[in-house]
Amino acid sequence: MKFPWQRQDRQQELEQELQSHLQMAVSDGIDRGASTAEAAHSARREFGNVALVEQVTRDQWGWLWLEEFLQDLRFGARMLRKTPGFTVVAVLTLALGIGANTAIYSLVNGILLRPLPYYQPDQLVQVTGFYPKGAFAAMREQIHSMDVAAYAEGYEFNLTGAGAPVRLSGTLVSADLFAVLGAQPESGRIFRRGEDLAGQNNFVVLSHALWQQRFASDPSIVGCWIRLEGVQRQIVGVMPADFRFPSPQTQVWVPLNIDPRDTINYWAGDFMPVIGRLRSGATLAQAGAEIRLFQSHVGNLFPWPMPATWNAGISAVSLQDGLVGDIRARLLILLVAVALVLVIACANVANLTLSRAAIRGKEIAVRVSLGAGRGRIVRQLITESVLMAGVGGALGLALAAGGLSLLKSILPADTPRVSDVALDWRVLLFAAALAIITGIISGTAPALHASRPELTETLKAGSRGTTHSASQGLRRALVIGELSLAVLLVCGAGLLIHSLWALSHVDPGFRSENVLTARVTPNESFCNDPGRCFSFYRDLANQVRSLPGVTNSALISTLPLGGRVQKRSVNIENYLPAPSAAEPLLWMNAVSPGYFQAMGIPFLRGREFAEADTSGNSRVAILSAETARRFFPNQDAVGKHLRLLGQKDWCTIIGVAADVRGYDLRRSVPQWMDGTVYLPYGPGASLEDGHIPAEMTLIVRSGANQLQLEESLRNLASSLSDDTPIAEVKPMPVILSAAVSTPRAVTSLFSAFAAVALILGVIGIYGVISFFVGQRTREIGVRMALGAQPRDVLKLVIHEGLSLTLIGVAVGLTAAFALTRFLAGLLYGVSPTDPLNFAGVAVLFAIVALAASYIPARRAMRVDPMIALRYE
Amino acid sequence: MAPRYQNRIELLQGTLDLLILQTLQWGPQHGYGISQAIRANSGEILQVDTGSLYPALHRLERQKWISADWRVSDNKQRVRLYRLTAKGKKQLLSERSRWEQLTDAIAGVLSPAKRGQA
Repeated sequence: MKFPWQRQDRQQELEQELQSHLQMAVSDGIDRGASTAEAAHSARREFGNVALVEQVTRDQWGWLWLEEFLQDLRFGARMLRKTPGFTVVAVLTLALGIGANTAIYSLVNGILLRPLPYYQPDQLVQVTGFYPKGAFAAMREQIHSMDVAAYAEGYEFNLTGAGAPVRLSGTLVSADLFAVLGAQPESGRIFRRGEDLAGQNNFVVLSHALWQQRFASDPSIVGCWIRLEGVQRQIVGVMPADFRFPSPQTQVWVPLNIDPRDTINYWAGDFMPVIGRLRSGATLAQAGAEIRLFQSHVGNLFPWPMPATWNAGISAVSLQDGLVGDIRARLLILLVAVALVLVIACANVANLTLSRAAIRGKEIAVRVSLGAGRGRIVRQLITESVLMAGVGGALGLALAAGGLSLLKSILPADTPRVSDVALDWRVLLFAAALAIITGIISGTAPALHASRPELTETLKAGSRGTTHSASQGLRRALVIGELSLAVLLVCGAGLLIHSLWALSHVDPGFRSENVLTARVTPNESFCNDPGRCFSFYRDLANQVRSLPGVTNSALISTLPLGGRVQKRSVNIENYLPAPSAAEPLLWMNAVSPGYFQAMGIPFLRGREFAEADTSGNSRVAILSAETARRFFPNQDAVGKHLRLLGQKDWCTIIGVAADVRGYDLRRSVPQWMDGTVYLPYGPGASLEDGHIPAEMTLIVRSGANQLQLEESLRNLASSLSDDTPIAEVKPMPVILSAAVSTPRAVTSLFSAFAAVALILGVIGIYGVISFFVGQRTREIGVRMALGAQPRDVLKLVIHEGLSLTLIGVAVGLTAAFALTRFLAGLLYGVSPTDPLNFAGVAVLFAIVALAASYIPARRAMRVDPMIALRYE
Repeated sequence: MAPRYQNRIELLQGTLDLLILQTLQWGPQHGYGISQAIRANSGEILQVDTGSLYPALHRLERQKWISADWRVSDNKQRVRLYRLTAKGKKQLLSERSRWEQLTDAIAGVLSPAKRGQA
């Protein structure tokens, strides 16, 4: 096989070879007695067409297609340069489509497709349920298809004794978590079996970043002791920089404290996610079956009955699916939306190419009549489209690379695996494949059309190219398709925007303006002496109230929308849970007196907590309206009683406060909880483990400058106690806005795609109508010469534009009607088939299409009949 | 292009390869020589036209059944000489036996009686 650059030599050799053949034939002829001229003539005749022989011989060499392809490419580039306007518009359209697709695909790739960065990730499993330590310890014994590990994310530890105290993000892990993940330490070791049992667990593993920043990459750090949350722990290892679990935020991994004697904590502490690694030969299905079997009897181990709904429908899924969670649906919706944009872009480019093919009709007719095969011409035209798409793809890739960091910043901060998103080879491959496919798709229809010219007619038609009605029909169909996809996307965007608007205008139940929140984060042991704790917080709230500009201030243990919940099982007066169901599980909030007023939460019945209620002498509680309705239907909850599980005394309900969207903007409590109870921050407000909440969030209503206020808060806190850092200060409106960050990200991306689709659709309409007017200039001239008024011409053109649009809108709305239900999971406060939305989209498209056809229509109205008639 | 070459017997598909390999069995030869040899050995019946010969030669060369190099001929002319390779010799044997089977088979079909006597 020869390569193209060797062809020149070979071509010469072939010519020589055939020449020598001819010469030998001539000299044989002369030998047989013919004259030189005769011999030459007969030799030539016998030989036949030299050029043809050369060509058929060359065909044996291979690489012909490549040569023709390069030829087509060069020719295509020349043609594209000849029509720069067309080329720029088409390339930009494709670049936009390919770029957007590449960017979204890089998200899909990084988050959904790329294997997890752990050893043999396909063996890793996520159990879909959540288990307390006791149940996990039982699972560790009983499950044989896999090795399991549990973890609890979102812990924070004050690191003291080594420079200024800092607050670290940590994850509590069972001892075998690293082994299950197959992770190796950078230095030191990972936890050993048994190092998560009470009394044997005073160890810690550091992240690479923490070791670098806090311990100056000290090579001898392993074996040192540090003080975390008031507890001495020995550093046993440092993980490598690329190890992340469960999220890059984790700075320390601390062993669980598994202690069967601590019944409450053992059976009702953290309900933790569980991961596992399949043992050799085991399958995911086996693991799932084993887990279901385990789940069917684990409830019996608990010291109290567990509700049948707990971990109902449990299964084992691959860890990748488990970690990604519900972002999958969102990403896939975005991917579909952006793919539709690309289809529209293709249709648009195909349309542009068609109008150009009409102009090039003559060139092609000439080539066909000179003997070019149809296949050859189609190949040439498609090569041209692919070339265009290739340039567009390169631009699009640059666009995606530039836009990727922007895209990542739009995504909510808690999006899983965002750090894995990058332009890797898969993304490059995707973009390249997309460019080629795009080129072929947008080029095929026009090429098939253009290669079938009616020769005589085209060649006769003088300087103007002609199109036939078939081409116009195809162009119409393309525009209708384009418009209906755009309608579909705009409908979806309309619904998402409506629901985002509804969500961000939801009444959260409190007044967030001018409220600053500050998390006060002492060590867990700070409240071992509750008296000290109470007086610290009382003093803090009082002193904050006297700061300049502060109008009100209060404390709460779990801030609404703060991302944390506190659960507490309660007995409720005269309320009997259904048989085999557990006691009601409420979200317990410990608040300081004046909280409801400070937060602006309307009070519906009874009274707020007073200072006297914090003493613990009288036990009182306040319910949310929803909770009061649920457990005391048609009665007055005030004066009724409830009791926290594990306490002796009943609390009297003294008031009912309006509902607060505490869990997220849609719900006040998570689905697995039954309501909300407020207790005064005092001896009665004990958590399940019997402790008083140590961490409280200070809310401050103030007109003062935030930075100044923050400074004064920190000063106040440190003047009152040495070890009570203020972890983070956030204005309440910021917290509210963060609560819609996920829908906002999806909505803004989707809307951007819809906007692009709309613009492309309008360009498409404009192109077709302009072409329509151009084609019918002569007809319009005749009509005007015969007395048609400009108004009639306007009507003719607008009618064409509007009828295309109406068909497109009808098809698009039908599709939207069938498909928007896939968005239902993302919608809030609007039905997927909201008629107002559909009507609005229809009107929008009608207006836009009118505008797009008006410009060419005006051109048509100004046609001078005399010029038009002489046009040819 | 078919009408342009009229005075010839159409060669069966693949037989030209066999003829070329067979001709080269007696020693290296150039394209013109091969066509002359086939013509002479067939009693002037088989005329190989150049439009088939040269593509066939270049195809056989690509299949490494023959090899080619430039030599200066007796009358001081540069010619491209083709020679049979080891692979080509094997190919010749198998093509020959296939050809013989084919002719036997065809002969059998054409005169079935003969076959019965044998």
